[in-house]
This record gives sequence, structure tokens and C-alpha cells, in this order.
Amino acid sequence: MKYMRDAAMNMTLAKQADIRSNIKKYFDAAFEGQIIIVPRKQNKNVVILSEQEYNRLCQLARVSAYAGKMGQITRDGRQKTEKAVQGENDNRSDGILADNLRRLDQIADLKEDWNGNGAPAFPAALIDKVTELIRKLRIQPEIFPTALQTIQLEFDNSRHDHMELEIGEEDTVEIFIAPYQGMESFETLPFDASILNERIGAFYG
Amino acid sequence: MDDRFKLSEKLYRAVYPPEKMSMFWRRDGSLSSAAFADPKGLSVDRGDHRPDMEVVCDMRKKFSGRIIYLYVKHCLATGAIVRYFPSGKNPYHSEIHGSETAVLLSKSQRLALSKRAVVIA
Repeated sequence: MKYMRDAAMNMTLAKQADIRSNIKKYFDAAFEGQIIIVPRKQNKNVVILSEQEYNRLCQLARVSAYAGKMGQITRDGRQKTEKAVQGENDNRSDGILADNLRRLDQIADLKEDWNGNGAPAFPAALIDKVTELIRKLRIQPEIFPTALQTIQLEFDNSRHDHMELEIGEEDTVEIFIAPYQGMESFETLPFDASILNERIGAFYG
Repeated sequence: MDDRFKLSEKLYRAVYPPEKMSMFWRRDGSLSSAAFADPKGLSVDRGDHRPDMEVVCDMRKKFSGRIIYLYVKHCLATGAIVRYFPSGKNPYHSEIHGSETAVLLSKSQRLALSKRAVVIA
């Protein structure tokens, strides 16, 4: 594929002719999360993106529209609109949870040597364990596999602090926190959803 | 080419798995530190100051997946070390290790390197 990428935005710029001759590759890339921009004459550009990404953007737009309305309403109306926004946010969380469950399915599908350097496949028990946990988390993480046969959950708060939970088959979870400013820290907590929810809540608090 | 690395040398890595290329990319488009966890050593191809596109073309013959690069100076700044392990098939093969005694990069090193990674293909 001949294209230019903007890594920060996960965007790819591709010519119409290139799309035509490699349509499956571009559709697969869009399905995997890339946003493909196709420049056309007179700036009649089009964008190719997955249905999942399209739905996510629609949800974001709806939440944003509700948040905009909040600034215009009276005090009496505020409570109702806040509930509406909360409802949209809940829907968005549900969308992220659904994305995360799909990601866990992808991780479960990884075969032995998935990283080309002998990484082991993931045991079903570990996938089940993480699935059960994320269903109970109040804030959804981003989820990644590691070649250590562990699953890494990542959280970032509005202060630009970063937190990673590394979950393996043990009964404990390793937590790594890299604040935007200050010293990094490590801790080990029991694998318990309520304890982890509390720790994650403190990270965002 | 010998086992000495200049600070300005680039180290290239194909991020697997190729069949699920978004696996290590975060929603904001950045690379997760999880991509740098490898208990067998983080395999890279040293650039030896070749042009990026030459390296990419060369790597595309052997690997699929997205290709990123890091600078040697950024690896050393985290306390990691870079080892040159050429093989018959790949004269550029090298590995990034956590230290002289630890192959696995620490969480802190992985995160620092993920922030420095530049995607080129």
C-alpha cells in the first residue's frame, strides 16, 4: 500500500487509484481502527472508517451536543439535562466495554508465537478473569496483550498521569503509575474488583 | 558494522501481530508500552544510518506489521542497553535489553520508549 500516515491521529492518506487496486487491504485497515482519507479534486474528499468507529463518533457528537445544551438551560431544566448527559456517558462507557470485550476476544485468538519471537498464547482462564474484571470496572481501560502472557490495562486521567495494571494468572495485580510530574511508583494489590475500582477511582479523583 | 552503536543511530522494529495491526495502538493513536515487553529481548534492526525507506523496504521482505523506530540515545537514556546480534539471515539484527543483567525492559523503560517511538510505515 502506498500511503502517508499521521500516527498521532491513526489516519492514512490514500489515493483513489490506490484504494481501487487494494480495496480489501484498505477496508481491513479501516476495520482495524485506521481512518482512511481519500483526497479528491475540488476538495471533495471522502473518509473510510469502520462501523464501530462511526458509531463511536456519533455517540461522542451526541454527548457533546447535550453538553452544549447544558449551558443554555434554566436551573429547573438542568437536572433533567444532566441525567440525559449521564445517560449518554453511560452509553459511551457501554460502547467502550463492548470494544474491550472484542479486544479480549482478539487476544484470546492469538496463537503461539504471535509476536514472531515465541510469545505464548493466552490461557482461557486468564481471558475469563480479565473479562469478569472489566465488566465490574467503573472506568473502562485500554487493553493490550504482552509477550509475558499477561494482559495490560491502561488508564490516563485528565492530569495526564498514566496507570498500568498488569494481570497474569497470579492472584495479585501489579500496578505502575507514571504521573505527568513526579516520581513513578509501583504497587501490588490483590486481584479484587472492589479494591481495584477503589484504586482506579483514587487515580481519577 | 561492528558492535558499537552511535547515539544518533536508529533502531527499527516491526510491531506484531500483523493480522491485528491495531492491537498495540491506543485510542489516541499512540503506541502502548505493552509492545515493548519481551522476555527474550526486544528484537530490532539497526539502521546503520541507511535511509528510512531503504530499511523499511528491507524489513518488509522479512516482516509484516507496522514499522517504528527509536534512537539509540533514547534507549540509553532509560538505562537500557543495545546489543548487536547479527545472524546469517539478518546482518542488522540487534536487541534492546533492560540492563547488562536483565533482558526484559522494566515498565518504566517500556513506557519511556513507547513515547519516543516514531511510526514510519
